[in-house]
Amino acid sequence: MLHSVLSNLDALVSAIQTALYVDVIQPLLFKFGMMDYDEDTYDALYWVIIGVFEVIAMYAVLRPLEALRPAERWTDRKAVRADVIYTWVTKLGILNLLFFFALQPWFDHLQGWLHLHGIATLDLDRLWPGVTTQPLVAFALYVVVLDFAGYWYHRGQHRFGVWWELHAVHHSQRQMSLWCDDRNHVLDDLLQMAFFAVIALGVGVAPSQFVMLVAVSNLMQSVQHANIRLDYGRVLERLIVSPAFHRRHHAVGYGHEGTVYGCNFGVIFPWWDMMFRSASWDRTIEPTGIRDQIASAGQPARDYGDGFVGQHWLALQRIAKRLCARRDGGGASSGGAPAV
Amino acid sequence: MRNFRLFTMVRRARLCSGRVAKALAALPVLAFAFAATPAAAHNVIVLNSGEATLSLIDLATRQVVGTVPTGKEPHHLMVTPDNTSLIVADSVSNNLLFVDPKSGQPQRRVEGIEDPYQLGFSPDRKWFVTAGLRLDRVDIYRYDGRDVTLSTRLPLAVMPSHMAFTRDSKTVFVTLQVSGELAAIDLATGALRWKMKVGAVPAGLWMTPNDQYVLVGMTGADYVAVVDWRNQKIVKTIFTGKGAHNFRSLNDGRHVAVSNRVASTISIVDETTLTNVGDITGLMPGPDDMELSADNRYLWVTFRFARHVGVIDLTTRKLVQTIPVGRSPHGIYFFDRAPVTAPNGT
Repeated sequence: MLHSVLSNLDALVSAIQTALYVDVIQPLLFKFGMMDYDEDTYDALYWVIIGVFEVIAMYAVLRPLEALRPAERWTDRKAVRADVIYTWVTKLGILNLLFFFALQPWFDHLQGWLHLHGIATLDLDRLWPGVTTQPLVAFALYVVVLDFAGYWYHRGQHRFGVWWELHAVHHSQRQMSLWCDDRNHVLDDLLQMAFFAVIALGVGVAPSQFVMLVAVSNLMQSVQHANIRLDYGRVLERLIVSPAFHRRHHAVGYGHEGTVYGCNFGVIFPWWDMMFRSASWDRTIEPTGIRDQIASAGQPARDYGDGFVGQHWLALQRIAKRLCARRDGGGASSGGAPAV
Repeated sequence: MRNFRLFTMVRRARLCSGRVAKALAALPVLAFAFAATPAAAHNVIVLNSGEATLSLIDLATRQVVGTVPTGKEPHHLMVTPDNTSLIVADSVSNNLLFVDPKSGQPQRRVEGIEDPYQLGFSPDRKWFVTAGLRLDRVDIYRYDGRDVTLSTRLPLAVMPSHMAFTRDSKTVFVTLQVSGELAAIDLATGALRWKMKVGAVPAGLWMTPNDQYVLVGMTGADYVAVVDWRNQKIVKTIFTGKGAHNFRSLNDGRHVAVSNRVASTISIVDETTLTNVGDITGLMPGPDDMELSADNRYLWVTFRFARHVGVIDLTTRKLVQTIPVGRSPHGIYFFDRAPVTAPNGT
């Protein structure tokens, strides 16, 4: 049944991919002398279409749930608009395109250099020939490895000041919703892509599997950010990160405090939080955002921006301020936390 | 120092994983090592680059009878000179998978072949050459009839893709897709003899009778460039169709088929008059690699952008059947085929 559904969906995506490519994109590539990207573009298009389907499915399933069982009730949804833009920028593969042109050549050079110097990749899927070479087993293995890396990447975002300022774009959303996951600074996105690309290269993830891993991970993270009062129950909650678990991470003071405290960093699996004692199972709904977004005695509320451009620009300003303060021997902070 | 540590760690890990792999490989439970498919006498073997599998199609019934996983990003395949194995080049896995040329069942793997995108044997069977499209280099190996030993590693930017050999096995030509060049490499010394500009996205190569010219499929244009390689000069262009890509001899001593990946047509080029004598139209999108039946009647072709292979009846020049396969079908081969022998003997 599931196989049949997936197979039909795959056939549908492929049919759209072929039609769109042959009738629209390939003629443009040909006209503008970019046929050396013929195959790459065709392959990438599949994932762009998957991204669009993902957004449609996400909206169809999660939006009614948000209306039925909201974790928080809002008077208006204006703050969510910017996140919709972030989502489309990500799902339409615009960031991947940036990565492909800006960083991919460096990765190819790096890979060539490593091979020329006899430094081979680990190729985890070859660990147990016949078992780990099975596509599904290999996929599961890579999910675990990349999720472990993702956990530490996320901890890094909450540990280092400049990095935190980029990640603060994500945390500054006080109305978490199904659109919130992709709200990230473009530089942070590129950094994250480079980070995972290096790991994928190191452990030997096939490029096609890597894209699928990212797609699956993104889908699960969209669910986690939805404004739904939902946990997965005592057992499942400890296997997969739920909206309740991740909402706790976004809770001001309870889930994170800028760079000085944090819990529930897990991306797909909460195991790493359990293993490294950073898990919190408290399900109390608390306000989300960053502490200094709320005005306190003598301190006006900090503006993190309302739109895509403003949020990016303000992040760069905060970074500049932090770097200047460091140069001058002082400390700048955001989120009520000292610089690290 | 840091690099050295990283190097040591990676090597240790690799050695460790190698030992574990060997130990585990000995377990009887691994009898099902590769995805089992019924062994068939004569299968058409189609390489699905987009999902790293081989689709096996029964040549008689033209039905898909099995799927075999390969490595990461396989692109091209080539039969060994003694016809005992078909080599599948896994470019991202950096290895070669040898399969039975009749059934498509795996035989063995050869590791340590870096980024083998395209591959070929010299006519004298002494050299085995791989083009690394991703890593920008060409590796030349000595071939002893079973194993290959690296002879020369030649950095060659940008995007080396297809290749052709001269009849005397002294030179291999390689197209450079991004820089739009044709390169000539001396096989014995591994030295680059020359490079020349040929145009937008050169891909497939074909030697005309007596090695007079080398034909270059211009995927970024709509023609085949005729190169007088001795004088490094383009002497003619043969208009075929947008996205001229790859070649397959039609085994009549005179004609060669050219796939046009954008126009979605196949042109028949007369190698003696250097003219396009007809186009096969009504195909699915992205015709790429081709294979010819032993009776010279049916031309099989992979449709790169349609997840199908097609069968063309050359007597009517019509597409008579399409068969669904995997994502991005690229290379295609079957044992009972017309010889690929080019007019120059390669």
